[in-house]
Amino acid sequence: MEVSSLPISASHRAKLISAGYISISSLSSISPAHLARDLGISENEATGILKVASQRGGLGRTIPSHHSIVDGAQTAWDMLHEEESCRRITTSCADLDDILGGGISCKEVTEIGGVPGIGKTQLGIQLAINVQIPLEYGGLAGKAVYIDTEGSFMVERVQQVAEACIKDMQEYDSFLRKDLPARQVDLQANDFLANIYYFRICSYTEQIAVINYLEKFISEHKDIKVVIVDSITFHFRQDFDDMALRTRLLGGMALKLMKLAKKFTLAVILLNQVTTKYSGGSFQLTLALGDSWSHACTNRIILYWNGNGRYAHIDKSPSIRSASAPYAVTGRGIRNLASNCKRVKLM
Amino acid sequence: MNPAALLQHPLPTRTTKCTTGCPILDSFLHGGIPCNSITEIVAESGCGKTQISLQLLLSAQLPTSLGGLSASSLYLHSEFPFPFRRLHQLALSNPTLQNPLDNILIHPLHSADHLLDLLSRLDPLLVHPPPQTRLPIKLIVIDSIAALFRSEFDNNPSDLKRRSGLFFKISSKLKAQAMRFGLAAVVTNQVTDSVDSSDGLRIGNSWFLYSSGRRVCAALGLSWANCVNTRLFLSRDEENVKDDDGDIVNTRTRTRRFISVVFAPHLPHSSCEFFIAKEGVLGFDSCNDFHLENREL
Repeated sequence: MEVSSLPISASHRAKLISAGYISISSLSSISPAHLARDLGISENEATGILKVASQRGGLGRTIPSHHSIVDGAQTAWDMLHEEESCRRITTSCADLDDILGGGISCKEVTEIGGVPGIGKTQLGIQLAINVQIPLEYGGLAGKAVYIDTEGSFMVERVQQVAEACIKDMQEYDSFLRKDLPARQVDLQANDFLANIYYFRICSYTEQIAVINYLEKFISEHKDIKVVIVDSITFHFRQDFDDMALRTRLLGGMALKLMKLAKKFTLAVILLNQVTTKYSGGSFQLTLALGDSWSHACTNRIILYWNGNGRYAHIDKSPSIRSASAPYAVTGRGIRNLASNCKRVKLM
Repeated sequence: MNPAALLQHPLPTRTTKCTTGCPILDSFLHGGIPCNSITEIVAESGCGKTQISLQLLLSAQLPTSLGGLSASSLYLHSEFPFPFRRLHQLALSNPTLQNPLDNILIHPLHSADHLLDLLSRLDPLLVHPPPQTRLPIKLIVIDSIAALFRSEFDNNPSDLKRRSGLFFKISSKLKAQAMRFGLAAVVTNQVTDSVDSSDGLRIGNSWFLYSSGRRVCAALGLSWANCVNTRLFLSRDEENVKDDDGDIVNTRTRTRRFISVVFAPHLPHSSCEFFIAKEGVLGFDSCNDFHLENREL
């Protein structure tokens, strides 16, 4: 349910939205003092907003002065309702969106893996751009955090993808308003770049430190709707002698990211590499970081070559069925395989 | 450590690149070899890996207005001997540079551990370049990475694990330095014959790389492929050409050389013909029309 449906004053509503509180659930576990500080209003006013939100949220609870263990509890009905209202980030490839149920889902951690050159970074860049598509074009109007551990994030490429995205929006616009003169999309590629918070990581300690810092960072930038780690793997493949320590560190990181996804209703994308695994007398390709890691992410998508085409396969997901779809990496970014097909899905 | 300091915001508007010294190759590479990441050049021997590397040592010294980095360079070589004469010849055909050989530091490599040790002691040199070079170091060339690994390691699980651990350590160290000091890092790699059946592992834009009529793949396998950002492949083919010179028909073989993108975050799947002349490595302008928009990468 959206904050815009709350019976509160227009100025409070605007303040809430501009501070990044879009859904009512984002108000569910926040203290009045915190909200007051975020919005720059008095604590009494904040308590009032939270009271209205909690009634409207159907939870029927009053604002407690302390946090009890059942504070964040929701019924399954509420959660279903909330998930339905939750927007998804389009991949710009309609076939891929179809098997994903409309795109990458917010509130979840999605792992994407594949061989070098298959397009992991390209997909990462595409999502960092697509999350910024304005609301009126079916996007999330969010911002992105891009944690680059490998150094493959090239600004020129991001600009290219952003320009193609703007072009698509213009086409979409004229399609909707056939008889009216096309409105100029007043967005520049550089605006897209300015909404990507880019962290360059050079060691696993830095990686852990940044992921621990994210909670604070995102609470200051509530309009962040996607966190992309490209890749989660690189610094953890350097000769870790203590594999138990590695498993613990990775597990801890996954939990933190999952918590972020839930708390701020954002999508977490973890890119992973592949490695060969010796099993049953032959070598097989598998995502890196081992068996215990494979439980860490909610969704797992594997990118692979089939003939000369790139395919994405949903390997694991609690809510959508396993399926494969072709995709292409073009000059404009990730698109449907048929390059002449102009079907651009903007939900 | 302050994680907030790792944020780069706003983003730079472009990646600094180092010219190759040839405008056609530069436009093929969208400006040259990118800084802050690792570019790998894969080729069998005699294709021109070392030629391109040597040329970069000189072009890095060009002022930024000419696409260079206005910097000196460090050349780490594991294949002996170092081709001094060829470097000198190239230097002579670059009259714009003043005493270019003063700005090239050369160091031999004996083993992978030696390379790692060298890289970890490199920071002071990158901060304060030695007095004889007037310019800071902005280019590191490792020629070749494969030679370091091809003799020392056995094909058993513990050696393979140690080997891939070393790959990631070397790559991580090199990438960190590339990022911190804005270096262009170039690594050359050899090829091995590909004996896989038709459904082998595909890395990059095509199932197989062909050079001299053989099916090859980059040496050092999948783990190393994860360690580089951009992989370029040089190939060559012998072609029989008939010269119709009046009455006499001569058949001679001509070598055609191609550079192609195996994978890169910023380049589409494309290739470009080049040749090696006395003045260096130069691209052909007849470059196939591969730069069409919407073409699959």
